[in-house]
Amino acid sequence: MLNASIRKTTSLLVAAGMALGVSLGMAQAEYPEKPITMVIPLGPGGSHDLNARVITSVIPAYINQAMIVRLTPGAGGQKGTHEVAKAPADGYTLLFSHNYIDMLQQHVEKLPYDPKKDFIPIARINFAPIAVVVRGDSPHKTFEDLIAAAKAKPGGVSMAHSGNWGALFVPAAQMMKSRDVQFNLVPYKGGGPAMQALLSGDADVTMGFPATIGSLLQSGKLRVLASSGPKRIYDDVPTFTEAGVVGDIGFMHRVVLVRSGTPDAVVKKLQDAFTALQGDKTYKNLLKRLGENADLMLGDEYQKMRDEQDVSYKALVEAITN
Amino acid sequence: MIDQFYQGFAMALRVDTFVLMSLGLFGGMLVGALPGFTTLMAMAILLPVSFFLDPIVGIPFLLGIYKGGIFGGSIPAILISMPGTGAAVATSRDGYKLTQKGKSRKALDIALFSSVLGDTASDIFTIMMIFPIAFLVMLFGPPELFAVLLMSLVIIAATSGSSPLKSLVMMMLGLWLSFVGTDPLGGVERFTFGLFDLKSGIPLLPMLIGVFAIPELAAVVMRNEKARQLSTLMGERLSRLEFKRCFKTICRSTVIGTSIGIVPGLGQVVAAMMGYSAAKNASDNPENFGEGELEGVAAAEAANNAVNGPTMVPLLTLGIPGDNVTAILLGAFVAQGLRPGPQLFEEQGATVFAILIAMVFANLLFVVIGYLSIPFFSRLVTIKVSILIPLVMMFAFAGAFVFRSDSVDLLMLVGFGLFGIIAKYARFDVMPMVMGFILGPPLEYAFGQTVAMTSGDFVGFFLTERIGALMVLVATPVIGYLLWKRMRSVDSG
Repeated sequence: MLNASIRKTTSLLVAAGMALGVSLGMAQAEYPEKPITMVIPLGPGGSHDLNARVITSVIPAYINQAMIVRLTPGAGGQKGTHEVAKAPADGYTLLFSHNYIDMLQQHVEKLPYDPKKDFIPIARINFAPIAVVVRGDSPHKTFEDLIAAAKAKPGGVSMAHSGNWGALFVPAAQMMKSRDVQFNLVPYKGGGPAMQALLSGDADVTMGFPATIGSLLQSGKLRVLASSGPKRIYDDVPTFTEAGVVGDIGFMHRVVLVRSGTPDAVVKKLQDAFTALQGDKTYKNLLKRLGENADLMLGDEYQKMRDEQDVSYKALVEAITN
Repeated sequence: MIDQFYQGFAMALRVDTFVLMSLGLFGGMLVGALPGFTTLMAMAILLPVSFFLDPIVGIPFLLGIYKGGIFGGSIPAILISMPGTGAAVATSRDGYKLTQKGKSRKALDIALFSSVLGDTASDIFTIMMIFPIAFLVMLFGPPELFAVLLMSLVIIAATSGSSPLKSLVMMMLGLWLSFVGTDPLGGVERFTFGLFDLKSGIPLLPMLIGVFAIPELAAVVMRNEKARQLSTLMGERLSRLEFKRCFKTICRSTVIGTSIGIVPGLGQVVAAMMGYSAAKNASDNPENFGEGELEGVAAAEAANNAVNGPTMVPLLTLGIPGDNVTAILLGAFVAQGLRPGPQLFEEQGATVFAILIAMVFANLLFVVIGYLSIPFFSRLVTIKVSILIPLVMMFAFAGAFVFRSDSVDLLMLVGFGLFGIIAKYARFDVMPMVMGFILGPPLEYAFGQTVAMTSGDFVGFFLTERIGALMVLVATPVIGYLLWKRMRSVDSG
């Protein structure tokens, strides 16, 4: 509570200054009248946290209100999501989540909310394409080498991932399913420790997002075997499709959602603000420095993607758990 | 290398660096001193500020918040027995006893000096040995982590209370409590009785505040010290002689803390407990520990701060953050256009050294800031009990609530408070329980990872690939037994 109130005070100050600067003539009460809370169902210091810090430091200029980050980790993202599902549908509580928490978890276990009924997407902020990596001195020169090794000795190749049903686990599972191989999946507490396990030799293969592997790749400590996306990210490295791994695989979509039933005008206002960010130099600059793209996708378009994810994740979970 | 070092040294000597670092240190100390607030929150909130500052200003500013925050956490631990983090638990043990004896200033002083000494020594060691440390870090995987955690638990159980058996019982209870919630590896729910509130487990803060602060509050109330003050004076400052007496302990704890910092994932909690246990074991009067021994505070504080230097190494040399604090620093580095990783030293060597050197300066600066602030903080205990107790009570509830803003946590606080009161009267030490609770999840996780790594062949895996971990595992019961015997002979003698 104290924490929230301190944040509130600071943001109120910011907002007050902002409002003065904009106009004194806006007598009508219009959304947003008070600071907006952005709930992140993940822990501090992760990529969502960092992205949110960038968003919330720039967006007040476009909504004339402060946006406050609230980290609510727990139960694999369900705690924070549940909290937003219970909040009023007035647009003052946003959820900043990703596709696996959003659409995959419902197929793994019973949730205290229904992601399809309770939420609508405002916008996808950006996405990160994943790549399969091995050590620079690994005997696996290509993706096919890796598959061949896993086929020769099922479970003999160990793959470090960032926790069950997480951003590295799901593409690994999709790979195993598509190519009919078995890796020995070893969980780590996040992508960082998984990468460290690869480098120290505890694991044979892992995955990473461009922001995390860039520097290691340049120094020759890593080799990329395959990457997600319709186009090749690294010139001589195949995409998953080329490597025979099918489906919407290996993308982490960072998405802002609100309670369904939020007034259209409010949704529009928020979407306008996020669209306006696209033209903001500071915003683009900061995201670029973090190694993230600013590839915005508005709610309606993302909803189609969400529906597809729903179907494909359902099939995936069934295939793996049976 | 040497050139870059000198260049970095010159770069770090900037007025704005020092000003913002001081701000960070002071702000971090205030935030850390408020129960329920974490340094991590403060760093995350202020991270965007650093985006718009020069790297040699912005990153030292964040480091200042971090360092100030760790010391800040020991203030309520010492003054009102309210440790806000696991790392401050060992500090509060002797720290609060010193406060009750009217020596709160001495306790805060020794905490400050040991923190700063431990931190400085480990920072300098890290700067000099950064590449050897980077190599060592790579030797530790889940099996090693499991072995070291298990050994830590055994040492804590054997050395903490008056009766090792009681300690063991409490530790088991703590381990069991840590199992409540969703299993971290398989995602299976355990002991939740279908309650969603228990799904993410029992939160740490309500437990910490509940079992440590509430029983002390109750004790004061039950003694009916109506008009009295908790202690009539803040006491005197630390004398040179007392500092000298603690110096050996500080050095020992610094070595322990730095070594633990090299093992990824062990962290400040283990360091503080190991430093404390080692000091108690080495002392001629181990019975004084837990009764208000300056060395106890020194041991814990030097050790948990000495962890900081080495934890920076994987971040700087590989670009891999080992914990949440370094993850935020990674964000700050990257936003500044510094990409931590193998080339960082080649491309930006001078800047990195400047930041590392600024870390050392931050410590020196903090001696002054901390020393000047302590009199204000220690005045807290001279408030009348009739006002202080409700005030502390308010902080207890606010602190337990702030972390997750969940009202269930208040129920847990009351529950753990009652448990703490009962345990106190039954003479069961709650510390092993808290340690079991904190170290249970990483222990379980490392165990699960190890099992996954072995792919079934447990014995062969350890014998051929993990001799080091195996040796620690074999040595653990022996060490435990020896410590147990020693503690028993001390008790009876």
